[in-house]
Amino acid sequence: MSKKILVTLYRNEVAPRFDLASEVLLVTLDAEGREAKRQELVLAHSSADDLCDLILDREVSVVITGGMEEEHYHYLRWKRLEVIDGIAGLAEDALARYLSGSLESGAMLFPVGAPGAKLPAAGGGGHA
Amino acid sequence: MDNTVAAHAYLEPFAGLAAAGLDRADLPRILRELPFGVAVLDRERRTLFLNSVLERLTGFVSAEVAGVPCRHVLRGSFCLHHCPAKDCQPGLGGQGAGRPACPAGDAAKSGEGPPSESREGTIINRHRRKVPVRLTSVPVLDKDGGLLCTLDVIEDLSALKELEGRLTRTAGPGAIVGRSAPMEHLLRILPAVAASDATVLLTGESGTGKDLLAEALHRASPRARESFVRVNATPMPEALLDVELFGQAGPASGQADGQADGAAPRPGKFQLAQNGTIYLSEIADMPLAQQGRLMRLLDEKAVVPAGGERPMRLNVRVVAATGRDPEALVKAGLLREDLFHRLNAVRLHLPPVRERGEDVQFLLTHFLGIFATKFRKQVLGFSDEALSLLSAYDYPGNVRELRNMVEYAVMVCAGETIEPAHLPPHVRFAAPAAAGAPSAPSGLQGVVPPPASDKAGTSGTPGAVKKSAARKPTDRQKA
Repeated sequence: MSKKILVTLYRNEVAPRFDLASEVLLVTLDAEGREAKRQELVLAHSSADDLCDLILDREVSVVITGGMEEEHYHYLRWKRLEVIDGIAGLAEDALARYLSGSLESGAMLFPVGAPGAKLPAAGGGGHA
Repeated sequence: MDNTVAAHAYLEPFAGLAAAGLDRADLPRILRELPFGVAVLDRERRTLFLNSVLERLTGFVSAEVAGVPCRHVLRGSFCLHHCPAKDCQPGLGGQGAGRPACPAGDAAKSGEGPPSESREGTIINRHRRKVPVRLTSVPVLDKDGGLLCTLDVIEDLSALKELEGRLTRTAGPGAIVGRSAPMEHLLRILPAVAASDATVLLTGESGTGKDLLAEALHRASPRARESFVRVNATPMPEALLDVELFGQAGPASGQADGQADGAAPRPGKFQLAQNGTIYLSEIADMPLAQQGRLMRLLDEKAVVPAGGERPMRLNVRVVAATGRDPEALVKAGLLREDLFHRLNAVRLHLPPVRERGEDVQFLLTHFLGIFATKFRKQVLGFSDEALSLLSAYDYPGNVRELRNMVEYAVMVCAGETIEPAHLPPHVRFAAPAAAGAPSAPSGLQGVVPPPASDKAGTSGTPGAVKKSAARKPTDRQKA
């Protein structure tokens, strides 16, 4: 059975905000979990409500996005979707991590501590 | 990354201040204790530091977001398309690699100091809460005008927005309520009428809410931030009324008695309403001479103050009202026909309560809630008998009378339900046939509120808001 993953986009990053995303990446996986199809959709305008409609219309199973309001998060969860929000990082990184089963809500995928070496995470990969 | 190099990069923005004697180690402490949110961002708007207030507001700890682009930390509505420092970002259409020159630098070199920019928007924090904020982005420049870092100051506007919402609810156009067809029609067209600059004639019996409607028109109009001036053309000598309405132009040199010699110029009601709205509460009470001057004012958008010669340009929206039939007033010669046609550009009629059938129960419940809260009483509703009496009554004083009646009933009611005994006697015994109540005794006892007081501010239907429900995502799942 195929599965659809939607990633909200801002350039090549996961969009920092669900309600302001004007592009999405729609990836369809085949029954074996391999990527079967990939589409980038440009939305007419940014709207969390319209994005929820699109997600349901396209029968998406997983949503990967940045900051999201509680109302929309719970709505999509209520619709039995998997919602992984609060992601900060490149869209491809987020997708790869999801496929490897290591992506969780709130993950910081940018190298944390890069400019501030005094900080505990300095010098590391910073992948949460 | 080499820790030594990285540490140097981290402290580099503060090097100038350190040279001036400020201990670099003090800066985070100083910023941390500020009572508003501060983010220190590097030249590419990656996060260096969040102070305590911003940590609480965003839900992120400074250390776990160091190096993360600020748009993923603040998640502001201004981050994607209206980023305040976009021009300074090498990676976002800015100045290319290396230390970018900042447009703010030119201003700094010219001695004006780097400009900061404020904008309002929202952020979504880690707890999925949308928070209204004001962002002020302050670029920190080196002596050559190059960008060292940026301080983003974030103020939480939640309390102010909540207050604004509360004030809008209590004083905005939502203060007019009603569910009958005529009232729904009125409420539907109100925003469009308010948005225009046309003169408006309000008609309706006493107590139907003309004053409130006039104020609602003003508050919903683009002139809402300017003055709303109410004029009651009560009987007074015409010369005085002239000054009252159109102002006094300094020393009245031409006056025979010389009493105004040296008098200070005095603005009239029209001058006080400049850029706002003037409300003439009973237009037919205005003497015909002043009606003529008003007509010229509407035509010429200018007025000559009493004792003056030079016309003064005015930008005032005129809303007039009358409790009588304006056509009959014209026929009777109490209202100038030419003025009537100018005022009648838009006419809004407020129906009397007896023609607002289904509104009576709605208004009773509406005012019950208001007065129960005001008097801190647990009055929950009306008994069937009381409701029957109140529904059968014809309210000659309209909403004002209905409101006063509910206020009285809540005042005297000791229990949870308003019974006929809590109603004013003239209601209890007004319609015995219709309501099945006993006939009136020979002498009515007790305190009775005036049927329709002229007290200002009681004629309308304030309080409730027709708040549109937040739009929810629609359920369109096919699976």
